[in-house]
Amino acid sequence: MAKGGTQIRKYRLQGAGLDLALPYLMLAPGLLIVLGVLVYPLWDGLRASTKVYRYGSVVADAGMQNYIKLWSDPQFLNSLWVTVKFVALSVTFETILGFALALFCLREFRGIRLLRTILIIPMVITPVVVAIVFRLIYASDAGMLTAISVWMGGGQVQILGSPVKAFIGLVILDVWEWTPLMFLILLAGLQSLPHEPFEAARVDGAGSWRVFADLTFPMMRPVLAIAIVLRTIDAFGTFDQVFVLTRGGPGEATRLVSIYGYDTAFKFQQTGYAAALFVTIGLVVLALAFSAVRLLRRVDAS
Amino acid sequence: MNSRLARIGVMSAVLAIVLLPIYWLVSTSLKSNREITQEGTLYPHVPTLDNYIRLFTEKQFGAYLTNSLVVTFFSVAIALVAGSMGAYAIARFRLPFAMERKVGLFLLTLRIVPPVVILIPVYLLMLKLGLLNSWLGLIATYTAFNITFCVWMMESFFREIPVDLEEAAMVDGDSRFGAFRRITLPLAAPGLAATAIFAVLVTFNEFLFALALTATPRAMTMPRGTATLIGRIDTDWASMAAAGVIGALPIVFFALLVQRHLVRGLTMGAVK
Repeated sequence: MAKGGTQIRKYRLQGAGLDLALPYLMLAPGLLIVLGVLVYPLWDGLRASTKVYRYGSVVADAGMQNYIKLWSDPQFLNSLWVTVKFVALSVTFETILGFALALFCLREFRGIRLLRTILIIPMVITPVVVAIVFRLIYASDAGMLTAISVWMGGGQVQILGSPVKAFIGLVILDVWEWTPLMFLILLAGLQSLPHEPFEAARVDGAGSWRVFADLTFPMMRPVLAIAIVLRTIDAFGTFDQVFVLTRGGPGEATRLVSIYGYDTAFKFQQTGYAAALFVTIGLVVLALAFSAVRLLRRVDAS
Repeated sequence: MNSRLARIGVMSAVLAIVLLPIYWLVSTSLKSNREITQEGTLYPHVPTLDNYIRLFTEKQFGAYLTNSLVVTFFSVAIALVAGSMGAYAIARFRLPFAMERKVGLFLLTLRIVPPVVILIPVYLLMLKLGLLNSWLGLIATYTAFNITFCVWMMESFFREIPVDLEEAAMVDGDSRFGAFRRITLPLAAPGLAATAIFAVLVTFNEFLFALALTATPRAMTMPRGTATLIGRIDTDWASMAAAGVIGALPIVFFALLVQRHLVRGLTMGAVK
């Protein structure tokens, strides 16, 4: 039956005239746009990363110089360190909170629909607006924290002026915005787990901790891994929220690589150097993604 | 009984954490700047809509919203058409050198690369083509991003639809493309909807490329225009809050309206 189907399909494929060209005709529009607006620029970016620019035009060949310079540039290394800290902290909290929430919501109860509906809001709000919301919370004169503190008899609260607090404030923003996504992915994962092992465990009288440690967690590992990878890749590219919330400051406390790269390109007009920076970041993220995929395959196999 | 109380407690805490910041945004947008900075009230004592009126009369917020709508509509529409055709070709045909699989993987890889990586060359490209600060420049950029996403999503939806249905249509004299258009595409409508919703969300919210590629209200999108507002009038908290509310309102409303599709689209790729 299946074989017959394949044969018919093949026959149709190798039919006459227009049908033969159809797959190419269908692929062409999309591929042309992608080639023109994504792939050509990607190639162009690689080329730009080996040049020295002054005000938008090439003035010299740099070879690999831009790349070499990058690894002895304290500002770049600092931004990379800030990014790694930011991604690690945010994703860790989002995973733990999201997983806890998903476990909590696994059983149907009154109000769960409302909870899910409201949890969608933070992640669909425009990131720029999320940043505005948090500026309105953190601001020392007009902020919510200050207003609450004053109402309770305290003084002004200063968040964005202090390097440590500003960084923590940024992590909190990210956790507020993206924990819901973790929650949704992990809830879907939990709901798709088979029922039998859990029923067997209940018959055996296993406690809820045992069930979690021996059943839920191991079975959820692939979904957890995918969710963490997705979030990590996205968090690496975080730009909008920081641009609006702190612009990278105070000092360099919240200056992620994306912000440093943007400033290098558009504020300091070092186009070639910035291109090299972004190519490097792209490679890092791709390497991360591919090693995660390989890791996942191994988890699946075992 | 106890666990019910705990449940209610956790739920209220979660709702408070999510809603309090939003409450503060809305409440600030209804206060005057004086009330915000000097009185620090917890709710607007003298509610006013002045901030909203000022946005549209003095700050060209209407133009930003129009630009956002136009750019989002065209880039998503074009990406859906081109993307679903491409996805169909990948899902249904066998091409020489297993090209269909390579194209799919290639588009997925492009999807993983952070957009910021091609920011500079796209900027240089649009500069060369004279498309900076234009609808067309933004539409082209967003369309390309959306196509990689549409192909990836739609391919898996097409694979779920049995080939037999198309074959039956072709036996009845329909062409291959006709079968795609009249049989498969309508059957994939829920997938198409989920894909469109996602593309709309991402495109409407996009900021980085709008920041680099636009400079005046002629083409600035809503997030871009909102950010400008912040830079120019540093402590006009009231306008900022109102801009935030208007910037968030359409997309949140849209997302809640299409919630079911949203959750499906979100989790589909991740869990399957």
